[in-house]
Amino acid sequence: MEAFNYTDTTEFMERDFSNSKETGTEIKIENVSMVFPDKNGGEPVTALQNVNLEIKQGEFISLLGPSGCGKTTLLRLIADLLQPTSGNITVRGETPRDVRLKKKYGIVFQNPVLYDWRTIRRNVCMPMELMGMKKSERTARVTKMLELVGLLDFGKHYPYELSGGMQQRVGIARALAIKPEILLMDEPFSALDEFTREKLQIDLLRIWNKTNKTVIFVTHNISEAVFLSDRVVVLSPHPGRVSAVVDIDLPRPRDMECRQTPEFFDYMTKIRNSFEGV
Amino acid sequence: MKDKIKNIVLPASFGILMIALWEGRMIHKLLGFKPFQLPIPSEIIKTLSKNFNKAIIDTLTTVNGALVGLVIGCIIGFLVAVIATQFPKWGYTGLTVIATFNAIPIVALSPIMNRWFESGFGQKVGVVTVVCMGAMAINSYRGLNDLKPFARDLMQSYAASEKEVFFKLRLPNCLPSIFTAIKINVPAALMAAMISEYFAASTSGLGFGVKDNLRKGMMAMGWSYIVMASLVGIILYLFIIVVERRAIKWHASQR
Repeated sequence: MEAFNYTDTTEFMERDFSNSKETGTEIKIENVSMVFPDKNGGEPVTALQNVNLEIKQGEFISLLGPSGCGKTTLLRLIADLLQPTSGNITVRGETPRDVRLKKKYGIVFQNPVLYDWRTIRRNVCMPMELMGMKKSERTARVTKMLELVGLLDFGKHYPYELSGGMQQRVGIARALAIKPEILLMDEPFSALDEFTREKLQIDLLRIWNKTNKTVIFVTHNISEAVFLSDRVVVLSPHPGRVSAVVDIDLPRPRDMECRQTPEFFDYMTKIRNSFEGV
Repeated sequence: MKDKIKNIVLPASFGILMIALWEGRMIHKLLGFKPFQLPIPSEIIKTLSKNFNKAIIDTLTTVNGALVGLVIGCIIGFLVAVIATQFPKWGYTGLTVIATFNAIPIVALSPIMNRWFESGFGQKVGVVTVVCMGAMAINSYRGLNDLKPFARDLMQSYAASEKEVFFKLRLPNCLPSIFTAIKINVPAALMAAMISEYFAASTSGLGFGVKDNLRKGMMAMGWSYIVMASLVGIILYLFIIVVERRAIKWHASQR
């Protein structure tokens, strides 16, 4: 696979680790519940019950849990792709809808959702067209983004010519293209093989390090959550609820060796033990 | 590459063999046909080249009607699909109604519709239009709505308007289905135009040519029109395929 190009661009500031615990609250989730009515007239399904959570600015936070725990639902509520049955979500004091309409979210889905009819460059370009950005500005930005994910040589290719891992990197480039303030990732690596996934995890940390965005990362993979996050929010199913929030104090930047330290395994054990009712 | 050659050479040699057997009157012997029942290829070609000018004029008459009807039918079918997509509540009913037209046999529809229009051209266009609407409506509705998972969510997350969703997502997503519908409709339009001519009082066109000449026992001339009809069908179909290959080279069917 293509190696990442780490050339620094002025726009991406180096993250200052000495000061990584920022205090600003980015997202505040208060007493949020989500109930889906059953389509066939059966019992309604409670996807989330009384969720409370504060996410700090610049934080990498994972929502971890088995299927049915409501982690994707919570992400979609923050993204304003769903509206909660009760409770309140604020993003920097605004509603998720305001933030979405201002195009401040970048979302990466479970599959890359590339448009087959557009080349890689034009796929990354798409959200910028929606923002009405000027063409010269778009072109420069696309180049910068493809450089960031190490796919500059593939700009003229069509999606089907790329591997699954490369396609997902295009998805990340597209999400970052409009300079979102919050990056929402919904199991972005779950369809990839273990090798590609571990590679992309390191790449993602490197990109996060450069861009300093708040990242909310949904996963069902414990080791992935521990490796990436500042904090892991453990969700349990039936009904979906927060059963633990675990701070991950592993030093950054993290590399492959980090996965073999005893601390890493301690965190995994701790998280595994915190699941309820699975 | 080797497969490609094989795919051309094998069917072509089979076709040549059949024509040779036909020319050598083997088919006649095998099925007990008399020569006037099935004129041999060389005779058909001779007759065709003698009457080529008339055959061309008749062909163009039919093709004109078929193409105009094809275009109108495809546009109506596509518009119905768009309405059904953007206004699902009542638009979908329209789609169902249009799709039902497809179930009506042309041979039943044609004599009835021939009473509605005065000119032979109008009759032809009318029948072809009705025949082409259904396939286009159903196929393009599928293309407009069978979106990849999360494709709509992606647009929504960027607060894209309905118009942007339509032009940046639905329409390009629909292109392969539009071509599928056109490929179904080209032969159907020719057939419908010819059938309309069978039933009409018109005195020109491929359909009339086949009917009239066979009735008068001029088998070779009748067959000449069949040859022309086949040629036109093949040429139009190839043209669509060439356009399709250029327009949607990104699609799985074109790789």
